[in-house]
Amino acid sequence: MGSDLFEISVNLIKMIIIFVMMVQLVPLLVWVERRGSAFIQNRLGPNRIGPLGLTQLLADAVKFIFKEEFIPEKTKKFIFYAAPVVSLIPAALAFGAIPLSMPINIEAFTMFGESYGPYRFAFQSFELGIGIVFVLGISSLGPYAMLMAGWASNNKYSLLGALRACAQSISYELALGLSIVGVLLLYGTFDFSEMIAAQQGPLNFMWFGKEVTLGFLPNWGIFYQPLGAIIFLTAVFAETNRTPFDLPEAEAELVAGYHTEYSGLKMNMFYIGEYGHMMAASALMAVFYFGGYDIPFVTAEDVNAGVTWFGQAIDPLLTTVASWAPFVGDSLAEALGFSANKAAIGTAFVFHIAMFAKILFFLWVFVWVRWTIPRFRYDQLMDLGWKTMLPWALFNTIITAIVIFIMRTNWS
Amino acid sequence: MDISVLLFYGLSFIVLCFALAVVVSNNPVYSAFYLAITMVSLAFVYFILQAYFIAGVQLIVYAGAVMVLFVMVLMMFDLKKEKDSFSKGRMSNFLKVSSVGWLWGLIAGAIYMSSDLLSMGATLHNKDGVGTTTKDLAKLLYTDYIFAFELLGLLLLLIAVGAVAVSRIKGGTHA
Repeated sequence: MGSDLFEISVNLIKMIIIFVMMVQLVPLLVWVERRGSAFIQNRLGPNRIGPLGLTQLLADAVKFIFKEEFIPEKTKKFIFYAAPVVSLIPAALAFGAIPLSMPINIEAFTMFGESYGPYRFAFQSFELGIGIVFVLGISSLGPYAMLMAGWASNNKYSLLGALRACAQSISYELALGLSIVGVLLLYGTFDFSEMIAAQQGPLNFMWFGKEVTLGFLPNWGIFYQPLGAIIFLTAVFAETNRTPFDLPEAEAELVAGYHTEYSGLKMNMFYIGEYGHMMAASALMAVFYFGGYDIPFVTAEDVNAGVTWFGQAIDPLLTTVASWAPFVGDSLAEALGFSANKAAIGTAFVFHIAMFAKILFFLWVFVWVRWTIPRFRYDQLMDLGWKTMLPWALFNTIITAIVIFIMRTNWS
Repeated sequence: MDISVLLFYGLSFIVLCFALAVVVSNNPVYSAFYLAITMVSLAFVYFILQAYFIAGVQLIVYAGAVMVLFVMVLMMFDLKKEKDSFSKGRMSNFLKVSSVGWLWGLIAGAIYMSSDLLSMGATLHNKDGVGTTTKDLAKLLYTDYIFAFELLGLLLLLIAVGAVAVSRIKGGTHA
C-alpha cells in the first residue's frame, strides 16, 4: 500500500476514484446505448428529459432506488441478495488492475512543513506483476453471480438462463485465454505496463534476425496479432453476454434470463456488473492490441515538454490571480505555482485521455455490434465457440510461436 | 506483527471454516458454493505468500472453471433421492466410518511427514525471490519435470477423449 501516510492515503483515494469512475460511467453508457440504438434503427430514443435526454439517467437512477423491492416466494434469501454484489466485484477488481495511464513519478516535496519522499504512483487501483493472469482469474468468477441469481430465484427461466450463461462463459473462456497466449509470447510478460512499454514508438520488428522499422505505423499489437485480436474481441462479446451472444437473456425464450426476478437497485447492480465487464474488456483490448495509453508518434517526453510549456505559460496568471485572494493568497499562489510534479501529473492525465478515448471507442463498438447483428441460435453459438474459435486460437498460438522463433533467430 | 501474517492466518481460518462447511452442509449446491469460496480464499492465501502465478492459475482453473462446472451440474439435478440413499443404510454408514478413519490417518500422516519441513522452512524461504517468478516455474516444468508434465498432459487428453466417447454412446442432442 505504501510506506507512509501520504502514499497510503493517495493509494486508497485512487482505488475509490477508479471504482467510482467505473460505476459512474454506467449511466452514461446506458444513455449511449439507448441513443445509439435509436440512431442505428432510425428512431429518436430518449430525448424529452433534459438536453439530449441526458437527465433521463437521473430519472432512471431515482426509479431504481425507489422501486418496490419484490422477492418471490421460496427463494434462497441469502444467495438471492448476494448475487448482485457478487456480479459487481469481479468487474470492479478486473478494471482496477488495468493501468489507465503511465505511472506518476513524484519528486520529494514539502507540504505543511513536513517533507515527503519521492513516490511512484501507478495509474491503477493496484499493481500486480501478473496483471493478465489476475484479470483472467477474477473475471472467470463472473459466472458464479449468474448461477447464484438463477438458482436462488426459484424460477425455471432464471435457472435456464443462468445455465446457458454459464456454459457459454466457460466455452468462450478457452478461446479467450488462448487468443491472449499470442500476445504473451510476443511481449514475453504478464505485466500490463511492460506490454504497453513494448508497444511504444514506430513499428519495429525482427525480420529473419534483422531489425526492421516501419516509421509510418505505431508499434501496436494489432499489426502482429490480427487474428488474435479478432478472436479476443469475439470471445469478449460472449463473455460479457452481449448480442450477438446474449442467449442468456434471450427475451423471446427466457423472459430476461438469470435476472428475471430482480428489480430495483439489485437489477441495477447486475447492469453495473455487465457494463463493468465491458469496460474491463475494452481496456484489455486497448492494452493488448492498441498500445494502451500510447499516443502514436508522440513520446512521454514530448507530452511532458508540452505540459511544462503550457504550465509555465499560465503560471504567472494563476499565481497573480491566486495572490489576490484574501488571507490565504500567498499559500494559494504557492500551491497553484508550477512545478515538475504537476507536469508529471499533467502528462499522466494527457495519456489517460488517450487511453480513455480507446476504451470509449471499444465501448461504442459493443453498442454498435449489439444493434447491428442478430442473436445466434444456441447450437450455432456452441459450434462457433468450440469448433471454430478454439481451433483458430490454437492455430494462432502455434503460428505465433513458430514465427517468433524463426524471426528472432540470428540467420546471418 | 506484520499485517500479511494477520491476513494469512485470517484467510487460512476462512479456508478451514468453509472447507468444513463443504462437508457439513446439507444441500449439495451449498456445498459446491462453499467449495468455490474455499478455492477463492486459497488463491488469496497464495497471493499473500507471494506465489502470484500459482494464485492466478488457482483462480482461473479451480475457482473459475472446475467449480463453476460443479455448481452448474449440481443445479441441473434434483438430488433428493441420492442424498437420502447416501445418508441412510448400513453400507453408507460403514463407508462413512471408514472414511473418517482414513481422514484421521491422512491428517496424522501429514503432520508426521511434514514435521521435518518446519526445520527446512528456514532454508526454503528465499528472500531474493528465486524460483517464484513465472519464468523460473516454466524452466523447472520444462526441464526437471518435463516427463511428469507431459504425462499429465497425456492423461488430460485421455480424459477428454474418454468423456467425449462416454457422452456419445447413447446419443445426445448433437448425435
